[in-house]
Amino acid sequence: MLYFDHAATTPVHPNVAEKMDEVSRLDYGNPSSVYSSGRSSKSIIETARSQTAKMIDAEPSEIFFTGSGTESNNIVIWSVLHQKNKHVITSCIEHPAVLKVLEELTAFGLTYDILPVDSTGLINPSDLKSAIKKDTGLISIMYVNNEVGTIQKFDKLTEIAKEHSIPFHSDCVQSLGKIPISTKDLKIDYMSFSAHKFYGPKGIGFLFKRNGVPIKPLVIGGGQESNIRAGTENLSGIAGLGVAAELVSIELEERANHLRELETYFKSKIYDICPQAIFHGNTNFYAPGICSLAIPKCKNEVILAKLDRKGIEISNGSACSSGTVGLSLVLKEMGIEDEINKSTIRVSFGRENRIEDVSILVKSIGEILNE
Amino acid sequence: MNEPIIVGISGGVDSSVTALRLKEEGFDVECVFMKNWEGESDQCDAEQDYKDALSVCNSIGVPLRSTNFSNEYWKNVFKNFIDEYSKGRTPNPDILCNKEVKFKAFLNYAKDIGGAKIATGHYARIKESGHSYQLLKGVDDDKDQSYFLYLLNQEMLSNSLFPIGGIEKQEVRKIAKKNGLLNHAKKDSTGICFIGEQKFFKEFLKKYIPKHPGTIKSVDGEICGEHEGLSYYTIGQRKGLGVGGGFGNNDDPWYVSEKDLSSNTLIISQGSNHPSLYHKNLSADSLHWISGYAPSKNDNLSAKIRYRQKDQTCTITSLSGESCNVQFMIPQFAVTPGQSIVFYDGEICLGGGIINNRS
Repeated sequence: MLYFDHAATTPVHPNVAEKMDEVSRLDYGNPSSVYSSGRSSKSIIETARSQTAKMIDAEPSEIFFTGSGTESNNIVIWSVLHQKNKHVITSCIEHPAVLKVLEELTAFGLTYDILPVDSTGLINPSDLKSAIKKDTGLISIMYVNNEVGTIQKFDKLTEIAKEHSIPFHSDCVQSLGKIPISTKDLKIDYMSFSAHKFYGPKGIGFLFKRNGVPIKPLVIGGGQESNIRAGTENLSGIAGLGVAAELVSIELEERANHLRELETYFKSKIYDICPQAIFHGNTNFYAPGICSLAIPKCKNEVILAKLDRKGIEISNGSACSSGTVGLSLVLKEMGIEDEINKSTIRVSFGRENRIEDVSILVKSIGEILNE
Repeated sequence: MNEPIIVGISGGVDSSVTALRLKEEGFDVECVFMKNWEGESDQCDAEQDYKDALSVCNSIGVPLRSTNFSNEYWKNVFKNFIDEYSKGRTPNPDILCNKEVKFKAFLNYAKDIGGAKIATGHYARIKESGHSYQLLKGVDDDKDQSYFLYLLNQEMLSNSLFPIGGIEKQEVRKIAKKNGLLNHAKKDSTGICFIGEQKFFKEFLKKYIPKHPGTIKSVDGEICGEHEGLSYYTIGQRKGLGVGGGFGNNDDPWYVSEKDLSSNTLIISQGSNHPSLYHKNLSADSLHWISGYAPSKNDNLSAKIRYRQKDQTCTITSLSGESCNVQFMIPQFAVTPGQSIVFYDGEICLGGGIINNRS
């Protein structure tokens, strides 16, 4: 089987699995307990916190473990309800883990505006400037888009936020392991991450919160995670996340180069078999390894089904839990017409893919087009 | 690799056993879950149905895909449904759904993804003789669904399989249970798929068809009350008229016997045997014949004017193009414009049309 859907999720790295296995077998202590097994569990968490902080050039005290990227987004957005300024600015290509939360919270007095994007998925900074209101209390903009890979120009966007002293949040789940992230360089106050996008386990994520900026918990209880996320910690998940983070720190450059190599090869070979292929997204500002492309006049569900039959897994945009399928809203917002939208597939590469695998993928697409 | 049979799976027991039987017969089987309606009300049901379908596919060991025909359904089925109700008629969207969605959009999709044929969990059978295909009733008399399939044509039939048409519902449930399918006892779906339970029907229609209140009169001309709009009522309807409780000559219930569109009057009569509820003749149009040809003689001809009705002996008294006049041997209860009349020669479903008028 060949897997090319790493933007949906990634296979767990063997070192991560090994660590999780070890922790779940040996470390049963409650990290809050004061005796030996508890202390040992606590130290596993704090090691993982340091590993995680190092990956994004942050302080360990700025890392909070959560259940997912979605939960991290929720904590930040719900916090707005505790502020005087309840207006939020976001973009039209956000994940539902941001857009649906905002929609839901309007019942509690939150208001929000949605910024448009251009045909490559980029936000125009002047749109952000003019959307700012007196009571804007948060700007939430995704870093790397999950469907087309476009990277926002955060230097300009965060500068505007700073000028107006508005806290800035970013859903960063697609960025780790593809592009370098340094919280010291990025002027961002809150960032959401998820372990399973960089070869860690599912069901664990984390929130970066810059020291000194406010936050309120969603889940309240025994005070774990510095009162930001109560509940006995997912010990093996956190340990796995720590190892996955350490691997990113070590291998980032190698991984990014590998993705770039696969992607370049894929693009050139696709044009050989389908000269009219259209690649979406921005050619200058994008994360390596995510290819969103339309094969005109060929419906994506047909390509997906036929590749699946050959044991090759790709997707048609973002995955959905109920099995529903439809047009990509991100592409719609980018102004891509419906016919092209229906013909768009997403191929996202990962560390275990080899050039030979990509060659099989292209060959298989070629066979399908010739049927 | 063989071209697979593409099974339309709903999460119910019939389509699940359909997939199972084909797989056991040695076919390559793939299942497809169709989403034909985008609405809040059915969101939870659709998600549960999908989960059931996935569980069944996993236990049979076949892949499940999903696709969305809600555009096609809206354009080619639902618009007609609202249109017909606005005209005071009572359409049957499930018949149109088969023609436009399951045996057109889905069939095309199945062919596009490389399928050999499609299969569904309908209680009906297909008989091939030479180069022509006949649609036969399902062997389970009580469950026979040929009534809903009368708009199928030769090409659709030649590309379809109904693997459970030859067995009884009870047997289908038994097979499901024996094979450990989790939905073996799941309740049959009833009513129109996008509305769900019948009791919500009027509320649903009100979202699409504005109220148009008028008078309710008895067949004798007596004013009995007010209605909210003729579209919300159906010929033969008993419940929800707001008339009863000792009104009239006795305690017998009241029925809708006619809708007078020109005066916006709902005409009702008391007792299920009232003559105004019965007609011996009807005219139908939009005729379709499964074989491509109208029957040449009336011998052994019968018809149903609603699903699950017993076959009624009848004669086609005149036929021109897509319209015909039909006479029944005995008067029929609640002959309803907009509903379909489906003709049979024994167990063969010949085709049918849409009831236009009665006398």
